Amino acid sequence: MSLRSNVARICSSVRRYSSDARAIIRERNQNVNAFVSINENLPSSSTEDPTLHGKTVAVKDNISTSSMPTTCSSAMLENFTSPFDATVVKLLQDAGADIVGKTNCDEFGMGSLNVYSVHGPVINPFRIDERRSAGGSSGGSAAAVAAGMCDSALATDTGGSIRLPASYCGVVGLKPSYGLISRWGVVSYADSLDCVGVMAKTVPEVKRVFDILNVHDEQDPTSVSTQMRRNTRHIVDQISHSWSKDPKSLSGLTVGVPQEYFPRELSPSISHSVRQVIQHLQHLGAKVVPVSLPSTSYALSAYYVLASAEASSNLARYDGIQYGLRVPPPPGSDLTKTSNLYAHTRSKGFGSEVKKRILLGTYALTADAFDNYFLQAQKVRQLIRQDFDRVFRYPNLLIRLHQNHHVDSGSELLSLSESHHGQIDVLIHPSAIQTAPPLNANANAESSSESNGEEQDKDKDQKDRDLDSYVQDVLTVPASLAGLPAMSVPVPVSLSHKNHTEQRERDKGIDGWPVGVSVVGQWGCDEVVMRIGQVISEL
Amino acid sequence: MFIKSRQKLFSKASTALLNHPPNTRYNPFDASFPGTLPQLNKKCVHLALRAALALDCSVQSRSSFDRKHYFYSDQPVGYQITQHYSPFALNGRIILPKSERSDTAKSTFNPRTKTSYIDLNRAGTGLLEIVTEPDLRSPDEAAEYVRAVQSLLRAVGVSDGNMETGSLRCDVNVSINRPGESPGTRCEIKNLNSVKYMVAAIKHEIERQKAILESTEGPQQVQQETRGFDQDRWETFKLRSKEDAPDYRYMPDPNLGVLVIDEAHVEEAKSSLPALPSETRARLLKQYEGLTSNHVEVLMNLDADREINYDGDVNGDDPSVMGAVAYFEELCKPQRNSRVVANWITQNLLGQLSALELTFPSQHMPPTRFGELIDLVDSGQVTRPTGKLLLKHMLTTEIPSTKSVKEIAEQLDMLLTPSTTTIPAASDVSPEDDALHRACLRAIDVLPSEIAAIKAGNSNVMNKVIGWVMRETKGKADVKRIRDIINDTIHRK
Repeated sequence: MSLRSNVARICSSVRRYSSDARAIIRERNQNVNAFVSINENLPSSSTEDPTLHGKTVAVKDNISTSSMPTTCSSAMLENFTSPFDATVVKLLQDAGADIVGKTNCDEFGMGSLNVYSVHGPVINPFRIDERRSAGGSSGGSAAAVAAGMCDSALATDTGGSIRLPASYCGVVGLKPSYGLISRWGVVSYADSLDCVGVMAKTVPEVKRVFDILNVHDEQDPTSVSTQMRRNTRHIVDQISHSWSKDPKSLSGLTVGVPQEYFPRELSPSISHSVRQVIQHLQHLGAKVVPVSLPSTSYALSAYYVLASAEASSNLARYDGIQYGLRVPPPPGSDLTKTSNLYAHTRSKGFGSEVKKRILLGTYALTADAFDNYFLQAQKVRQLIRQDFDRVFRYPNLLIRLHQNHHVDSGSELLSLSESHHGQIDVLIHPSAIQTAPPLNANANAESSSESNGEEQDKDKDQKDRDLDSYVQDVLTVPASLAGLPAMSVPVPVSLSHKNHTEQRERDKGIDGWPVGVSVVGQWGCDEVVMRIGQVISEL
Repeated sequence: MFIKSRQKLFSKASTALLNHPPNTRYNPFDASFPGTLPQLNKKCVHLALRAALALDCSVQSRSSFDRKHYFYSDQPVGYQITQHYSPFALNGRIILPKSERSDTAKSTFNPRTKTSYIDLNRAGTGLLEIVTEPDLRSPDEAAEYVRAVQSLLRAVGVSDGNMETGSLRCDVNVSINRPGESPGTRCEIKNLNSVKYMVAAIKHEIERQKAILESTEGPQQVQQETRGFDQDRWETFKLRSKEDAPDYRYMPDPNLGVLVIDEAHVEEAKSSLPALPSETRARLLKQYEGLTSNHVEVLMNLDADREINYDGDVNGDDPSVMGAVAYFEELCKPQRNSRVVANWITQNLLGQLSALELTFPSQHMPPTRFGELIDLVDSGQVTRPTGKLLLKHMLTTEIPSTKSVKEIAEQLDMLLTPSTTTIPAASDVSPEDDALHRACLRAIDVLPSEIAAIKAGNSNVMNKVIGWVMRETKGKADVKRIRDIINDTIHRK
């Protein structure tokens, strides 16, 4: 058979596969609501790099695509199509991936349950009829992968937006080290925390996509240089050398278990599953060490101050002038101030959660509050980083880069790590305090939070629930503040059910829903994190 | 002050000129599209560094960028990126803290339709902010200061400092106090776009504040406020009070990180820093004896009005286009008398160029040609009045470049004598003697009626001619030698 006809045959099979993929998406999406647009253009078969040929990838709807709208699940951008493709989208296309569509999310990435969306909530596909949350903000990406609607999905994680839905939906979700994956074209929520990451059913699938995206981009000023990547790689190689050659053995590896990550609110079923994982790692030869990260309890409040402050700044651009929704002021409006004109569009275009965070962030930046809120939160962020730095075996290279310590050679890096006193290679902890929460309590958050508070009791309940949803992030936020790589991997079913009769399971509140365990490494050690993640998924 | 860079401060879009049609010079970043990120233009940093060095600032090795938030229609992103908390240059010797920030777009308001048109061409052009301590004591001092900064930053190629086109604007803080008392409450007058308006605004503000303090209804306080200047009524007016001052909610920019300017970069910028006007002035006066400070002013003013190139390129793209100082120095290179050269430029060339409505640029009269012309007159082959005619001819007529000036003069029958007999060959005489010859020839040239009298036999007039030559040579010449040269020359004719 000639080469030409061979290629033609492959192309046509890819095309058939691609259109099948769309049919599947259309059918399953009716129940899950994971996709908000479907890309009708089939991939061109002309790319030279075959790495992702035939692979279907979904893209979170806060990542710019020129062929589909980028709504960020906001009424503000409901009809907005970006004039350009995000760097990550371009990289995937160049690698031959089939970008099948855009996925639902919380508005501008703000939320933990994927209920604050102009497209409606995402239904967790694990057991559709139970109507549970897929988690947020990247609920659409997690659900799309879990429901088999695509091979992998791009998502973003600002405080846990990848790891939480991965945990709830039972898929693998990686939030890489800050600065490794380009944010050009990713709609900013909080620039200093936003990371693009990957979700898929298996670790190797995540890694395949991550490797394509892990390159320097000059269009992103926070993208780590190629030289810095080389140096980091060198250090990671050195670490890996100290481990056993046997891929099944973990001898030489030290796993830290941070005590602060097992709070009172943690559901017993989760804590049981995670303990099982830790035990098994120990059996494989890993040294398990309890550690303390004492600043953890301040992380959540610091995160909400910083993220909201940056959000209030980043979302100032949505004014109805250049693009997006425009609500003309009613006749007779006072237009002597520009802000009066913008107010109509912004009041209408933003949902309640976004407005709440803009207000919080605006307040945190006012001259009177700045020192007590923003600066204080930045100090806490510093403490969180120091906590991690103390326990890890090697220093945080990104911080050193930011402080302009020129680290030019690999050997210099190694001497740095030798003078470092920590001993931990990776940390292991639960990804979430519970399994996927039911949707009904929060499904109507959008409308109920806008009630005028006639019924006091109901209001108080609502407040508790609102706070609950913020507590979801308590375990994921520290790694975001420190810019560390973190991956949520589903605990294998065999482990979470071990030693339990059905009766005892019910007693312990074990509901059979997926449980995620998080692996966190030092900055730049994404490979190590993925390797341990793979070991866990094979337990 | 706008930085004259080819590209904007944080985007790769080209900077705009006033004559560019609206909304033709921006990219998605300038229009604040979601997903765009800033990229700091290194050229702008280099120019800002140059400005800092010219102003003798201490350059901070680490500085950072902050967002200054406010809603305004020509500010599409909702904030301006500036250096609020830690600017990159501090403590200038003439001027104190300086910071760098990007400009907003320009908005034009149509009062008839009450519609705003927003032009993003200028959004994001790099802006240098230069802030002084309260050191200036009068409107005139303020004017002098602005002009000094303007010419300094033009000379180092950072900005064209053009106030008419909005490249330079001033905000002025005015306060008054009686001698011995501490400074009074200040008012800020914003957005003054000419030195003339600035002086008028300060003067008006002083009178206004005086009137408040000396009110007949008893002493009153000046209220701290922000004011504008009405160019039609020639007075300042209230924009907003201190209580209405916006809270800009400064926040460190999370994308741009730390701006690191290391020692090597500073050294490189120092070594490539174009000469400052004061240095050039001093050097010219020292290096060229006979050059008057008037000459220097004329030459330097010509240079001050030059077009400033983009990205601080002081040499320009076209090597044939030369500044006035460079032109002068080029002409002086082959040992020409600097005063003669300067006189030719300032008294003849400039006048003729302006009569022809041409600007200085050297392409109208390449220095080699002008030099030939000067030499022809200086050596007595062409008289001075004829030389001027020849200059005019050369400026107005297309002449093939292969033709020498002497050939042109010959063709026009302007040469006085066969060239071989004019002066002894240079190798036969000492340089001093050669200079004396030239001085004598010039005397013959500029004193035609005296020479005619000598020729007619009135030898007393010779003393007047000798006196002229003595002055020209600063009394260094031998009187007998002068007499001989003059007699030789006029009788040889």
